[in-house]
Amino acid sequence: MPIASSIPVHLPASGVVFQAEKLRKVYRTGEQELVALHGVDLTLHSGELVCLLGASGSGKSTLLNILGGLDVATSGTLLYQNWPLHGANDETLTLFRRNCVGFVFQFYNLIPSLTARENIALITSIAHEPMKPEEALDLVGLSHRMDHFPSQLSGGEQQRVAIARAIAKRPKVLLCDEPTGALDVHTGITVLEAVEQINRELGTLAVIITHNAIMAEMADRVLTLSDGRIIQETHNAERKPASSLRW
Amino acid sequence: MLDRKLLREMTRMKGQILAVALVMACGLAMMIMTRSLILTLDQTRDDYYREHSMAELFAQCKRAPQSLLPRIAEIDGVSQVESRVVMDVTLDLPGMDVPATGHMISLPIDGSTPKLNGIVLRQGRMPRPDERREIVLGEAFADAHQLKPGDELTAVINGRRETLRICGIGLSPEFVFEARAGETLPDHKRFSVIWMNYRALAMAYNMDGAFNDLCLDLAPSANAETVMQELDLILAPYGATGSYQRKEQASAQRLDDELRVLESLSFIYPIVFLSVAAFMVNAVLSRMVRLQREQIAQLKAQGYSSREVGWHYLKLVMLIGLIGAILGAFGGYVLGKQLVNLYTLFFRFPELEFTYHFSAMFTALFISMAAASLGVISVVKQAVNLPPAEAMRPEPPASFQPSWLERAGLARWMSPSFRMAVRNIERRPWQSLFTSGGLALATGLMVMPGGMSDSVDHLLTFQWNRAQRHDVLVFLNEPSSARALHDLRHFPGVTLAEPVRGVRSRLKFAQFSRKINITGIPVDGDLNRLLDAQEQAIVMPKEGILMSAKLAEVLGARVGDEVEMEVLESHRPKFFVPIRGLVQDFAGVAAYMEIRALRRLMREGDTVNGAYLSVDLQHWDAFMAKIKETPRIAVTMVKRDQLQAFRDTTAKSIGTLRTLYFFLAIIVAFGVVYNSARISLSERSRELATLRVVGFTLPEVRRVLMSELFLLVLMAIPAGLLFGRGLALFIMSSFSTETVRLPILIRSSTYSIAAIVVLAASAISFALVSRMLRQLDLLGALKARD
Repeated sequence: MPIASSIPVHLPASGVVFQAEKLRKVYRTGEQELVALHGVDLTLHSGELVCLLGASGSGKSTLLNILGGLDVATSGTLLYQNWPLHGANDETLTLFRRNCVGFVFQFYNLIPSLTARENIALITSIAHEPMKPEEALDLVGLSHRMDHFPSQLSGGEQQRVAIARAIAKRPKVLLCDEPTGALDVHTGITVLEAVEQINRELGTLAVIITHNAIMAEMADRVLTLSDGRIIQETHNAERKPASSLRW
Repeated sequence: MLDRKLLREMTRMKGQILAVALVMACGLAMMIMTRSLILTLDQTRDDYYREHSMAELFAQCKRAPQSLLPRIAEIDGVSQVESRVVMDVTLDLPGMDVPATGHMISLPIDGSTPKLNGIVLRQGRMPRPDERREIVLGEAFADAHQLKPGDELTAVINGRRETLRICGIGLSPEFVFEARAGETLPDHKRFSVIWMNYRALAMAYNMDGAFNDLCLDLAPSANAETVMQELDLILAPYGATGSYQRKEQASAQRLDDELRVLESLSFIYPIVFLSVAAFMVNAVLSRMVRLQREQIAQLKAQGYSSREVGWHYLKLVMLIGLIGAILGAFGGYVLGKQLVNLYTLFFRFPELEFTYHFSAMFTALFISMAAASLGVISVVKQAVNLPPAEAMRPEPPASFQPSWLERAGLARWMSPSFRMAVRNIERRPWQSLFTSGGLALATGLMVMPGGMSDSVDHLLTFQWNRAQRHDVLVFLNEPSSARALHDLRHFPGVTLAEPVRGVRSRLKFAQFSRKINITGIPVDGDLNRLLDAQEQAIVMPKEGILMSAKLAEVLGARVGDEVEMEVLESHRPKFFVPIRGLVQDFAGVAAYMEIRALRRLMREGDTVNGAYLSVDLQHWDAFMAKIKETPRIAVTMVKRDQLQAFRDTTAKSIGTLRTLYFFLAIIVAFGVVYNSARISLSERSRELATLRVVGFTLPEVRRVLMSELFLLVLMAIPAGLLFGRGLALFIMSSFSTETVRLPILIRSSTYSIAAIVVLAASAISFALVSRMLRQLDLLGALKARD
């Protein structure tokens, strides 16, 4: 795998993971032009937990998708560990996602025909040096539910399986798009605890999109987006444990 | 406004709608085509019979005086009688080595035109009264030899070479199927009907003032059976062979058989195609309704009634049905118009104009709508009965369980994508069954035409090489002594001659009877071998009778049963003879006895009617020249020419049908796979998008999508091959009539081709769908709820 091996899989601790300069994204629908990102500059480090805040349409999902290799910027540069992601082709981006990024979505997106363990095995079968599915499930506290199908799991459990699936490949980046959006408070906190634990124990860079300002208290850094620009950057002196959050 | 939604959705789903409509159209086209052909043939035949007075009863005898006619006309129920002299003569055409047979029919004595079995003059005129050499020639033969009025023809009439002048070219309802009695295929180059003045023909055969052939018409209320009994009584002293009705007349029977075959085709195919189409509609609409759960809820929340929403979806289905019906109606017209030409190979009508069966079109329209609606009613009902509040919530994740394969302990060997496939199939058993079922039907449709040509091929090698080993079969114009056989043996080039003794008889068993020539052949005969169902030669028993399996079936008799044999000539003896064996033959029906046994029964010496001859090809020309100049040879059948005639007619028409069925099967295979791949793609777009997001490459995702379809195809093919075998057997047995039968044989290459074509059609349609994987909206699919 020449391309895969050219993407740096292992990163030095607390190194720069992403370096973005003047990232711009324009969507064209017919004659309409919609500018989703207006030249974003950003640096993200490994081991960091970053929250993206902002109203709907502020550009946070677009930014997350570009970071995760699901979309490409219209202009600007984006380096992953000094390795250019801007202008990469589909094949390269696929391998980048396969080996370097873990995704968690609002609606879990588990494969309904596979059990929890198999959902994870599906990913570990293609990833580079993954952990065992059982180990990943253990990390999110679900080893006792591993042979259950998604339909037999609660929403929180499904989301934790989704997190286990995302981290089983030992990604350097964990990207979460409103991971608690479809969950109640209690379940949401359990899910956040799992993200927090991964971030701390594996040194994974975690980026979480949320509408919920309270959730930002568990982050090292909070970026607020509006109209495609980062309008505010806050550093929390101290990260609050997820278990202490209430909303 | 809902209609606008409908139209836009249809535009979006055009590929799938077209696939369903095409499959539907195939069935409807077949139905409309066959119904139209039936109507065309039926109507043309009825008009022809009526307008040109096809007789209702027929009878033959050796020689009866004309003075008998008033007595026959007085039989209660007879409305018209016409007597004729009918004789087979040899025609000698320049440039043709093999002599042709002229079936000479006398015109009425009074010089008028026939009142029964009227002649349709196509060119020229009728012979002038008292003109000895003028004839009206059958059109098929005239066409085959490019003869026209004014041309001359040499015939050997009762031993004398006569030059006949063609004054007209004609047709008759008596010879729609123009072939020698007992022949199953027309051979227009070597057989012709010829009409001639009574006196000229009667004088030549010493039949002046007599007749040997009768046709009768009955009064509307007459009972044919009683008329026949009385007629047979009157004719008995004159060497009569028993009267028969129109339905047993060779040409009429052949035409009826053809219509019967068409009848069975006219419903089998449409049923198969329409069932597949109904399954496809069901799959398309179930998916659509599932995806539009929220829309349905919205509509209902805004005040649309369940009936209005249900009607909205039904309209989509009806539109698919309508498109199918329009395509089918058009296809049926085009195919019918093409295929009607095939019938001109076999049947001669004054005019065979393709008649479109409009009511069949409306029936087709109705059936297609009904089939499509039946396929979806439950789906629509389920959707509209959902309370709006519940429908607006996303559907809970589909529940799955380990498949039985895994429960059986095979889990270890299954990759995740294979597991997904197996579990998906098991979770929606009906949908999977329908997809697999549709493909199985397509596979089956592919086996059928291949099987038909295998049978024809087998027939050609079997009937022509293994059973019939002679080169030429000759019949004499009347039974002769052993001297005739001796003469034939000494014809130039003849290496082997085996005698044939044919005795016109009626075979009876219980209430069933059939008139048939009992053929006597020698016990050690080698030129006409009788084969059993295992294709092994049957040793001719010293006594008893062998018969075609089909004849035994018609009589309801089995080996060992004694059948009554009533001889219809000479001193008309009756015997009971045991059936000693059944012969597997494929054209006409026949019964055989050992020639000496037959002669003993007839109390005669070494009588022969004809002979099977093996001829050295080096002396072919001399042999044929000798045949032509031998007056007592009435009929000469050259095996090679019969084979050619078969290839020109039956093989050609089966070839055409084969191509047609082949394309229909491809359309079905393609439609089914395309449709189910599209549905899979749309239902699992979220799942597939997730795989792409977490780093699966396109080929890897394609494999996931393909494994399910591959499994379905894999299940479908063996089932389809079995189904195809069944279908072929069913259709071929519906072809099995007393005139023609097909051996049931399907080669393994036919099965392989069917499987390969279905696999290829599946692969191509899958490739088309998998191109859409590229356009999979990764972000959209993940944002949307289930």
